[in-house]
Amino acid sequence: MPPVDFRTPLAGLNLRNPLVTCSGTYGFGEEYQDYCPPEALGAITVKGITPEPRLGNPLPRITETPGGMLNAVGLENPGLGEFLRSYLPRLRKLPTAVIVNISGFAVEDYVQMARALQSDCGLAAIEVNISCPNVKHGGMHFGTDPQSAQEVIAAVKRETDLPVIAKLSPNVTDIVAMARAVEAGGADAVSLINTLLGMSIDIEKRRPFLANIFGGLSGPAIRPVAVRMVWQVAQAVQIPVIGMGGITVWQDAVEFMLAGASAVSIGTGNFVNPRAPLAILAGIEQYCRKNGLASSRDLVGLAQR
Amino acid sequence: MLIDQEIVLNEILGSADLGIRKLVLKGPIAQQAKPGQFVHLQVGSTLDPLLRRPISIAAIDPECQEITLLYKIKGKGTELLSKAGPGQKLNLLGPLGKGFTLPAQGELWLVAGGIGVFPLYALAAAAKKQGLTVRLFWGGENSSLLECSGLAMWEELGLPLYLSTLDGSCGKKGLVTEFLQEFLQAYRQSDPSPAAAGEPVQVAACGPPGMMQAVTADCLQAGVPVEVSLEEHMACGLGACLGCVATLQDRQGRVRRAKVCQDGPVFRGEEVVWNASC
Repeated sequence: MPPVDFRTPLAGLNLRNPLVTCSGTYGFGEEYQDYCPPEALGAITVKGITPEPRLGNPLPRITETPGGMLNAVGLENPGLGEFLRSYLPRLRKLPTAVIVNISGFAVEDYVQMARALQSDCGLAAIEVNISCPNVKHGGMHFGTDPQSAQEVIAAVKRETDLPVIAKLSPNVTDIVAMARAVEAGGADAVSLINTLLGMSIDIEKRRPFLANIFGGLSGPAIRPVAVRMVWQVAQAVQIPVIGMGGITVWQDAVEFMLAGASAVSIGTGNFVNPRAPLAILAGIEQYCRKNGLASSRDLVGLAQR
Repeated sequence: MLIDQEIVLNEILGSADLGIRKLVLKGPIAQQAKPGQFVHLQVGSTLDPLLRRPISIAAIDPECQEITLLYKIKGKGTELLSKAGPGQKLNLLGPLGKGFTLPAQGELWLVAGGIGVFPLYALAAAAKKQGLTVRLFWGGENSSLLECSGLAMWEELGLPLYLSTLDGSCGKKGLVTEFLQEFLQAYRQSDPSPAAAGEPVQVAACGPPGMMQAVTADCLQAGVPVEVSLEEHMACGLGACLGCVATLQDRQGRVRRAKVCQDGPVFRGEEVVWNASC
């Protein structure tokens, strides 16, 4: 039996397989080297970058919840300049597609970063984070208003020759309207979902657990919400969907692909099992074999037909 | 490394009501582990609790391939861990983090608050093996806490112990810092200075943040280098998620973040910004 064909065309890229890592969960590509090396993945998405360096939020930043966790890291990152100087030279040597996640507070922030990130940087794509729930000013605004989302994606597209992926927030009334808006803005793909806004209170201290009060909920607890949104968006837009939200084992990944995701991204699952993406890939392979599918591409949207 | 290691022992230490337990695990992590490092443990096999639990390594025995973890039952994760029995395997990620610095010569003074004593045991054993003079200054709420946190292990190690309790039920009545201050003062007033005589003192502290902050201030005043081991909630344990950062400051007062899991958990005391507001 020939090996299962994992090649995944996505937003003009040819990924070696449909496994991606979520921004903010896989560092800058070196942290997981001993457990799940970048070259085993279709692509890695690095920690979100802002124009200026950020210290992020005070602590506590994380707390566990049933089947999940809340985080409010607050976009701690070295800033665009330091990213280009110190991180990019190492990232471009990685034998995998590198997606850079960018976050901003105004359209000009996104424009500034998009201008600096071009295909000759050795990067594969830009993921535009219009959905970070953990910073006080802006960010989230672009992710909840279709008009603003379209504008910011269009602005980024004008500045860069890299494929542009729009990362959508689930904290909206109508996810389909958001997906259609970023498609109209020229996005080459959408990734969804980002975390769901939540909070948790320490009943002994009678205070919120997180210093930021609110945080983003991730992990298996949010998976059904994510699958539903991927299903809806995949039906509504022509551009490919990268599905994410609570994937920890291969069955979860298959579920997302059946719902219409062309690729799947592992986030909180990396924390539980640092080798999760490798195990998931092996599981998808077995599933395809068992069901007589020659390619993992054959899974995409199968449950919709 | 990411590896399943077999439980040799998982038993209560002292009286059951304090919920302090000793867990011995067999496997190759013992060959790599250094004092002050930790392991990231999967405590269950289902998705709740979801995250691993970071636990400091209390003793390292490379010959027997065993590491000892001491832990206190605090919540769902440690409660579940306490149910795991000998013969069962646990999935471990580790050894992780940057541990304590072992001085080349002189004296090593260990300062512990409560169960903060746990990671200092491996350091004491390593320093003693190297022929250093090691002293332990250890304060706790009462004699029961000290007894249940491994006092007998420390007595077997045969080091000078300077114990204090808040209620005076064991050792001196008062704070561990008071004991330490007396020694630091004597050190500072020695003539010739012990450092110049090739007998410098280095301090390693672990305990509540307020205690470590006070120990750091006292040590710096006495010109004694001090390392502290910080504790934070962690998700990845590998430096990727930025959930467990510490706030550090350089000599020019520039503030930066460091990852407790990867750059620590041990930091130089003077670098740490205690109670950071940012």
